[in-house]
Amino acid sequence: MSPDVHTPFLRAWRRLVFRWRRTKLDRELAEELEFHLALKQNENRRQGLLPLDAGALSHIQMGNMTLAAEECRDMWSFLKLEKLLQDLRYAARMFRRTPGFSAIAILSLAVGIGGNAAMFTLVNTLLVRPLPYRQPDRLVRITGIFPRAAVPFFERRSRTMDVAAVGFGAEYNLAGEGEAIRIVASAASANAFSVLGAAVARGRSFAPGEDSPGRDAVVILSNSLWRTKFGGDPAVIGRVVALNGVHRQIIGIMPPTFGYPSARVQAWVPMRLDPSNFLEYWAGMFVPMIARLRAGAALAEAQREVLPLTGQFRKTFPYPMARDWNRDSTAIPLQRDLTGDIRGKLIILLCSVGLVLLIACANVASLLLSRATTRRKEIALRVALGAARLRIVRQLLTESILLALAGGLLGILLGTGALSIFKSLLPSSTPGLAQASIDWPIAAAVAGLALLTGLAFGIAPALSASQIDLAHAMRTGSQRSTAAFWTRLRGGLIGAEVALTVVLVVSAGLLIKSLYTLSEVRPGFQPRQILTVRISPNASFCTQRAACIALYDRLLEGARNVAGAGEAAIASTVPLDDQQPYLAVDVEDHPKSVDHPAPVLWAGAVSAGYIRMMKIPLLAGRELSDADGAKSAPVLLISAATAKHFWPGQNPVGKHIKTTGEPQWRTIVGVVGDVHQFSLSKALPDWIPGAMYMPYAQAVREDGQIPAAMSLLVKVRADAEGVAREIRTLAQDQDPDVPVGSVQPLDEIVSGSIANFRATIRVFISFAAAAILLAAIGIYGLVSYWVSQRTYEIGLRAAIGATRHRIISMILAQGVRVALYGIVAGVVAALVATRFLASLLYGVGATDPLTFAAVTALVLAVAILATAFPAWRASRIDPVRCLRVE
Amino acid sequence: MGRTDAPELLPGTLDLLILRTLVSGQMHGYGIAQRLRQVSDDVLQVGESSLYPALQRLLLNGWVKAEWGASENNRRARYYTLTAAGRRQLASERAEFARVVGAIEKVLNMA
Repeated sequence: MSPDVHTPFLRAWRRLVFRWRRTKLDRELAEELEFHLALKQNENRRQGLLPLDAGALSHIQMGNMTLAAEECRDMWSFLKLEKLLQDLRYAARMFRRTPGFSAIAILSLAVGIGGNAAMFTLVNTLLVRPLPYRQPDRLVRITGIFPRAAVPFFERRSRTMDVAAVGFGAEYNLAGEGEAIRIVASAASANAFSVLGAAVARGRSFAPGEDSPGRDAVVILSNSLWRTKFGGDPAVIGRVVALNGVHRQIIGIMPPTFGYPSARVQAWVPMRLDPSNFLEYWAGMFVPMIARLRAGAALAEAQREVLPLTGQFRKTFPYPMARDWNRDSTAIPLQRDLTGDIRGKLIILLCSVGLVLLIACANVASLLLSRATTRRKEIALRVALGAARLRIVRQLLTESILLALAGGLLGILLGTGALSIFKSLLPSSTPGLAQASIDWPIAAAVAGLALLTGLAFGIAPALSASQIDLAHAMRTGSQRSTAAFWTRLRGGLIGAEVALTVVLVVSAGLLIKSLYTLSEVRPGFQPRQILTVRISPNASFCTQRAACIALYDRLLEGARNVAGAGEAAIASTVPLDDQQPYLAVDVEDHPKSVDHPAPVLWAGAVSAGYIRMMKIPLLAGRELSDADGAKSAPVLLISAATAKHFWPGQNPVGKHIKTTGEPQWRTIVGVVGDVHQFSLSKALPDWIPGAMYMPYAQAVREDGQIPAAMSLLVKVRADAEGVAREIRTLAQDQDPDVPVGSVQPLDEIVSGSIANFRATIRVFISFAAAAILLAAIGIYGLVSYWVSQRTYEIGLRAAIGATRHRIISMILAQGVRVALYGIVAGVVAALVATRFLASLLYGVGATDPLTFAAVTALVLAVAILATAFPAWRASRIDPVRCLRVE
Repeated sequence: MGRTDAPELLPGTLDLLILRTLVSGQMHGYGIAQRLRQVSDDVLQVGESSLYPALQRLLLNGWVKAEWGASENNRRARYYTLTAAGRRQLASERAEFARVVGAIEKVLNMA
């Protein structure tokens, strides 16, 4: 052909012109052919044929001119495009004509696709997308937690890693800039930012050596703190602020994407590495270590190195450490560490939302399948008129893809909403969570998913419909001639749908039961009518113990005098407020050894009235009293668990406990009931055997100082709001430099502690509800289809004397049989699947028979309901009419 | 006549034949068919059902142009004329055709 490059364009242009003038061209072609025919007839006549025969012969000689004209016409148009448009128009018309069907199909797909879009986004953002640091795949976390002394030790000895440490984050008072506030700051070794490969947005990072004492008076701010507290002023660098009373110079500001170790952290201070400070260096808050693999080092090499190093380090402790201390330490990719807690939850949610999509697809496939069957006659007619099978398959596929795309579009809208719900399920401190938004790759993935779904559930019905025995379908016009295979396939689809539904509903059921059990947990105290407010002076404020004791005495006195308030108490922590105040202790009769290292106890510092006010039962001995002051003999209360752990079967009253490092033993004067301090599902973490309560005036922290930050608890008799206002003012009036938190009812703290769990359950319930609804629609569709298929047979049965009763039970039996197959398969699948839920369950086994039984009954009931209506309709079939029609 | 089977044309040959026929001047569809039959001694009988689509194809490619005029018997007829692009196309297709036929000859005449 012509090598001319612009020929294709020219041709397309002419085609466009031709298309434009199509009617005229049509007319001209007809005239031309007419002219041709006339000349042909003339010729035939000249050869001696009669005019009539000449005409007929000419027609025969010319052949199929309609087809020729058609071929010409095709040339004038953009055939493929126009056929597609035609298919689309046709599909849209079909949807308009069956709005119920279309709405159900599109909605169920939208729910499935929307949920998947949101979950994909989350999984992509949190689990897949690399951390926003330089060469993030080279970053590892050394598992286990270590004292600060381990950081230089590992850094010096490791041949495969550059080691750093960044603390979990602790609360600090930020003063010197307007009202004092409470922020979360993390202590980081000076090399932490270079190991992470994270650069500051402004200013500079920590310099080497800035973690040594005397040089550590610097702080780096997070972007959010810089914006909220300092108004985003660049001149803030170089200014000095007070953090817990220590003056530090602001040297840098991090970019908004940086949030290590969690998005909760608002500032970073150097982790002071001072071997002369024994407590801080060896025994203070332990820290997690991170590291960057050195060039050429593989993760496996680093992993091999960690345990020997840990063993060597253990021997350098100035006091005996347990033989199995950090025995399972290893190096894992940092990303896995950061997402460790939520990985399981995300994957469970991803699986369940995937199940919903599967169910939705099965449902739409089954709907399309039955519709294809009811359209047999129409399709047979089109085949008879000359439509190619391929064309019909394409038409049906176009319909299902259009359906899927509509579902996908709506799904993306739903997904944006769902994403914010899912986000609320995860701890807000998860790094990167705030940035998660549905992005284009995800939208593309969802579009792909929608198309794939469309093709997947379009193919079966399309094949089924195109396999029509033409003559038979045309003659009878009935739908009785379906290939049994497709009917069985549909039954299988619905069965599978029921099975998936059972899995989801069982999961939801187990979670609901867990929630119920949790809400029935007796936390060991009575949270009703108690308000709490956190007051957090700097530790330096309490260097003089008497000052702090006086401050809180004044507060207690003032609180008791507030109108509407009853008793008042202070406590270093209130249950379930996310703090973990534990102390290493020495216990009488339990000498420490390598095999029995220092035990830790949950350590509360409380005022005398606390135990009674919280209605924590006194089991033995006496309560604390105001007489247990700073100067009297040191005493404490222990919890029942502590008593049982150290003195099983004995009376612990009169025994002694002291915190590690303090000279004087404290006498146990009483035993009180156990309290759920840590979470509703768990009284205390596994590694803390029990709790102890010290009178505030005698209390110590790990560094020997009196606890400075305390919660004030006030019992409300009347006018809770007024009391809340009054006690906050009261606390603020004590000292303007002391941050005062907001007033919270204690029972809100209790219910808030399971808010995440409750939200997870809500999502599961909605998944399960969607599944049940979809399954019900599926069963209903299937049974109605059977009934319409067997109208003739049912009519015949009725005619020869079958009662309505019999017909109803016959149809019911069929629907229920499919449901039963599905339920049995679902129960088996659920027995396997629910074990992955175990981490979310509380007080209920993953194979709880009661839940399984209840769910089976529920799904069966829904199946019967869904079958009942078509069965009832079947029983109303008028035998005379239906036999006459056939 | 009429019943004898016309030989199968090589694909694309019809376009070439039509273009060649039009070299001698403008012609209507019927005329083209007649001329092809006469020149080839009734061997090439071009069916109308392929002639008209072929003409449309040539129009679309811009190798011929069509205009309405009066015929011998004073009826309106559509006359096709070769365009400059059509002449070029004819030349190149002729060369191509000769090449293919020559090659076929060679194969048939091999020892």
